[in-house]
Amino acid sequence: MQWQAISDTALRFCCWDDEFVVYNIHSGDTHLLGSMAAQILLKLQQSPSDVATLTGLFTHLPLFEMKDELPLQIEHILADLNRLELITRS
Amino acid sequence: MISNCLVVQAIRQPESLTFLSLADWDLLLRQARRANLLSRICALLDERGLIEQVPPQPREHLEWARAIAKKHAQDVQWEIAMIRKALVGVGVPVILLKGGAYVMAKLPPAQGRLFSDIDIMVPKGSLNEVEAALMFHGWATAELDDYDKRYYRTWMHELPPMQHTRRTTVIDVHHAILPETARTHPDPEKLRSAAQLLDGYDNLKVFAPADMVLHSATHLMHEGELHNGLRDLVDIDSLLRHFGSSPTFWPGLIERAKELDSTRTLFYALRYAQLILHTAVPEDTMEAARIGSPNRVMLMLMDMLFSRALMPDHPSCSDWLTGTARKMLFIRANWLRMPPVLLARHLFHKAFISPKPE
Amino acid sequence: MNVSSLTSSELASRLSNAGIHLQTGSFITHLQTAIPSVAEGIGLLYSDYPLVEEGGFADFHVDLIPPRNLRRWFKPQVLFLSDGAPPFKPLPLDQAFPLFEWGLNWCVSSHANNYLIIHSAVVEKNGYAAILPAPPGSGKSTLCAALVNRGWRLLSDELTLVRVSDGKIIPLPRPVSLKNQSIDIIQQYEPGAIFSRKVSDTMKGTVAHMKPPSDSIFRAAETAQIAWVIFPKYQAGSAARLEPLPQSRAFMRVADNAFNYSLLGTEGFETMARLIDASLCYDFTYSVLDEAIETFAALKPPTSPT
Repeated sequence: MQWQAISDTALRFCCWDDEFVVYNIHSGDTHLLGSMAAQILLKLQQSPSDVATLTGLFTHLPLFEMKDELPLQIEHILADLNRLELITRS
Repeated sequence: MISNCLVVQAIRQPESLTFLSLADWDLLLRQARRANLLSRICALLDERGLIEQVPPQPREHLEWARAIAKKHAQDVQWEIAMIRKALVGVGVPVILLKGGAYVMAKLPPAQGRLFSDIDIMVPKGSLNEVEAALMFHGWATAELDDYDKRYYRTWMHELPPMQHTRRTTVIDVHHAILPETARTHPDPEKLRSAAQLLDGYDNLKVFAPADMVLHSATHLMHEGELHNGLRDLVDIDSLLRHFGSSPTFWPGLIERAKELDSTRTLFYALRYAQLILHTAVPEDTMEAARIGSPNRVMLMLMDMLFSRALMPDHPSCSDWLTGTARKMLFIRANWLRMPPVLLARHLFHKAFISPKPE
Repeated sequence: MNVSSLTSSELASRLSNAGIHLQTGSFITHLQTAIPSVAEGIGLLYSDYPLVEEGGFADFHVDLIPPRNLRRWFKPQVLFLSDGAPPFKPLPLDQAFPLFEWGLNWCVSSHANNYLIIHSAVVEKNGYAAILPAPPGSGKSTLCAALVNRGWRLLSDELTLVRVSDGKIIPLPRPVSLKNQSIDIIQQYEPGAIFSRKVSDTMKGTVAHMKPPSDSIFRAAETAQIAWVIFPKYQAGSAARLEPLPQSRAFMRVADNAFNYSLLGTEGFETMARLIDASLCYDFTYSVLDEAIETFAALKPPTSPT
């Protein structure tokens, strides 16, 4: 299943120290996202992706001890982003 | 009264605003704010490139109003996207009414408009499914007492208003444009079959142009609370100016009013748009619309009432008769919606229940 | 011409007849009232504020009147009107002057959408502003009142106005609202400060208003640049402590404290982002005012331009 960000023009990002504040121009909502969620969102803004592709964004990180749980964690983040109306199934 | 009203002058001739004194601006801003037309006036000046000619102090107020209208437009479009998402499974075409229609169809009345509830129309047979789908997606019917619930279900042309629990926005779901008990009956089937799909959508529609005008006129002429009366007349004026550039529009409007049992409504709407806002209605159209005119005495009375009640609800636009005029039109509106026995029961009931806090 | 150029009877007479056009910061308010305590409060706390004589334009039109209800015979009340319409329920007549203050705050925060308006105090030194957002009870007003009596300029005790077009902080210096023990604390801290009469039994307890130092009033046209966002919290017995706050968290907390962040849409987001970007953000705990003053005196503005 592929996901994509709601549009490539609807989102505004601000970043300080690994945390992101995202504004959705369509809904008027503002969100505080951690680094992983923000990177996923930015990737989905560039092109539709599935969980496997998104997992690939993070597997190179050296300290990642829980690589097996990575896909599940990503699924949860996708569910949250979907609930916040930031992404849709493509 | 009409001549005291700076808002009317502003709508008729936005260019004249560049000559206003500061004291006049002070009054205009207050009248316009009360009439919910301040952002509309700002939009008219923006369109004509005249904003920079407004002195800095009042210009700031126009900018304040512009920010509000911009937010409203953002909210309405999002809300309609959410409504569409909620109702896509029900499989019936959803017709957007009034403000929502103007925004999505990119019509001139949308400029500088403020919105409150979203109004939609769906087939009567689908009401239960629509209500269920909305509830599933987070809308809930406001608390009503048993009388009000039965009033809506049995007599009204709409469900009770539903409010979204998270977004707090309100949707009014109609199945007709007037209640079944009303004295005139624009056939909802006819309105539905003439409705047009919005560009790029397969399940969102708006009324055909003549129907849009007639609906706006129906709403205004049957509305008990007229604090948005001038704003509604401005919508009608804007629609007429826009659609009226096509020559077939005017004769079509008259024919459609006959088909939809709305000749009286159209007559009043054209008359007051012309009298108050100087809308350019062709002579032969005005003549043809006279089939909807009441007798001379009634017309004089209506002129007296509407010329006052359609002014902004501001002391500077009122005289000693304005309060009475508003009350009489309130009663008239209820009378139009309901036969006398029901009306008496309704007003009796309403009078003895203390009003719910807003 | 300032309010002080009128005698108290001239002021009372003007207020009950044609009204006055009072300038506060960049706003002009047309005020009319026959209520004596309001005239007294204006005469005392607004003596250094300009009266606008010409133009006939006001941003806000305020009346304070006794409402026409049955209670006027045994428990007199006061109603605040904004262009003839009441945004709030009436209050006991005794609270007329505080109601004027709260009502005028409402006028600004409900309308002035060329500013991002934050519910906070804001003070300035050397061109740099510190915003102190805080929910009621955090000691923000006490701290603000102390700071402006120790070298900081008052920009506002309630409403920070961040101009959307350029991010500058626009002053709106008005009497500082204090309640309960804070009134006595500040009266002791600064014996020369001028206070309105205490009004008890309000929704906030006992309230009084402190006249801002004249310098703050005279320099009301001087804008400031943001440097610090500091969330104060009074905590009995604690030492003064500044803890750095991640800017993303500060963003969300300030947005929560803004009246019109949502209403301003994309511009609200961009104004807030620019504000936070240019600021050092902290949580601040204190209990002793002098320590708080020292901490603030030691604040350094952000070093690099953004």
